[in-house]
Amino acid sequence: MKPRAKSTILLNHRLLSGLLATLLAFAATSQVKAMYADGGPMETTQLFVNQALKIMADKQTPVADRQRQLRQVIEPRFDFTEMARQALGPHWRALKPNQRQDFAEVFKGFMESAYLSKIGEYSGQKVEFIKQSSLGDGYAQVASNILQPSKPSIPVNYLLEQKDGSWKVYDVTVDNISIIQNYQNQFNRVINEDGFDKLLADLKAKQRQLASSSAG
Amino acid sequence: MKAKRILAAVAACAMIFGALPALADDQGPPHPPGETAQVYSDPLAPFNEKMFWFNLKLDHYVLHPVAEGYAAVAPIPVREAVGRFFDNVNFIPRFANNLFQLRLADAGGEVARFGINSTVGVAGLFDPADHWFGLKESRNDMGLTLGHYGIGQGPYLVLPVLGPGTIRDDVGYAADSAMWPLPYFVPWYVWFPTDGGKFVIEAVNYRSLHLDLFEQVDRYAIDLYGAVQDGYLQRRASQLRRVNE
Repeated sequence: MKPRAKSTILLNHRLLSGLLATLLAFAATSQVKAMYADGGPMETTQLFVNQALKIMADKQTPVADRQRQLRQVIEPRFDFTEMARQALGPHWRALKPNQRQDFAEVFKGFMESAYLSKIGEYSGQKVEFIKQSSLGDGYAQVASNILQPSKPSIPVNYLLEQKDGSWKVYDVTVDNISIIQNYQNQFNRVINEDGFDKLLADLKAKQRQLASSSAG
Repeated sequence: MKAKRILAAVAACAMIFGALPALADDQGPPHPPGETAQVYSDPLAPFNEKMFWFNLKLDHYVLHPVAEGYAAVAPIPVREAVGRFFDNVNFIPRFANNLFQLRLADAGGEVARFGINSTVGVAGLFDPADHWFGLKESRNDMGLTLGHYGIGQGPYLVLPVLGPGTIRDDVGYAADSAMWPLPYFVPWYVWFPTDGGKFVIEAVNYRSLHLDLFEQVDRYAIDLYGAVQDGYLQRRASQLRRVNE
């Protein structure tokens, strides 16, 4: 009986350590999976776009509530400061720190009002994700199509950077036209002609206009 | 004779503008942050801005109202068929420029499309070449051909009625227009009004299918001129990347 007991113990021991190893391995892989689900540029983009579509499709909830939900979904996924910096191009360097902060804030408000004003226009379009590709270390591009019934689909690409362990959008291209680059050209013209303060005022005015057009 | 003169003019322009630096020609697919794209130089801005506002007024007071009235009487499928008709009729420059760029499959596809759509597609009103045979249109033009062979685009130029362009693209447009066969076969008092009518109907039909074109851009624009300028230049740059692939 004795050797057998010993072998049982041994077996148990082996079983246990085997089980432990499996558990550990499982935990590790599931952690990797979780990291992947939260971390890949494609998964990140897919996640927030699908959440946003769901909110836009939910016509029962009042617009104001849906706008708040949408903002909660979008905000953590966009790097608005980086967008603001790029949209100013060479002018950013000439600004004082407090001017930069002012501008980043106003620009963020403007961009938010712009996408929130889209909420009423949504009519069931679907989005298909095509691929992700690397744009160099820490940068990625996710390609998608907005599918419209009986019309050509619109290619939309998201440009993401890895920051503090998560992927954040810093530019979006629609039909291969970069939104940030487009604003950069506009802002450059306004600053050169009428100065930085005029640009701030124009952005604020446009933001109010967009916000009031989507509230009703 | 006429064609020869035009070719000579194109060659001369090509030589002049080939020497000009390409403005923001290779703003490749969007840069990673930190690398800011270069700012466009716009030496003709004072003229361009005047023409831009003129075109906007022309659109606001003439083209848009006419297109709206036309849209009210002609249902969308009819207007789409009219658009396809003109697309089919304008196949020669698409074919020729695909050929010039040695995109032989695309050039052949354009010939096949023209043959199929002109006959089975009832004079191009329908597009069976795409729906039955999966033959897609291969857009192309002389501006892209010139760019493909390394000619810089020159300054941005807004022309009255014709709208935004660059010197290269406008030269290309002139060359493409010269491929339109009618003036070579009929006297001027026939082709002039015919082509004028074609230009107007094409424009009205297109605008009627995109009635909120400017409104959509204006809604999000801080500087409308700059938005249209950059939109045009980015779109052409991406088309050029496509034909250079």
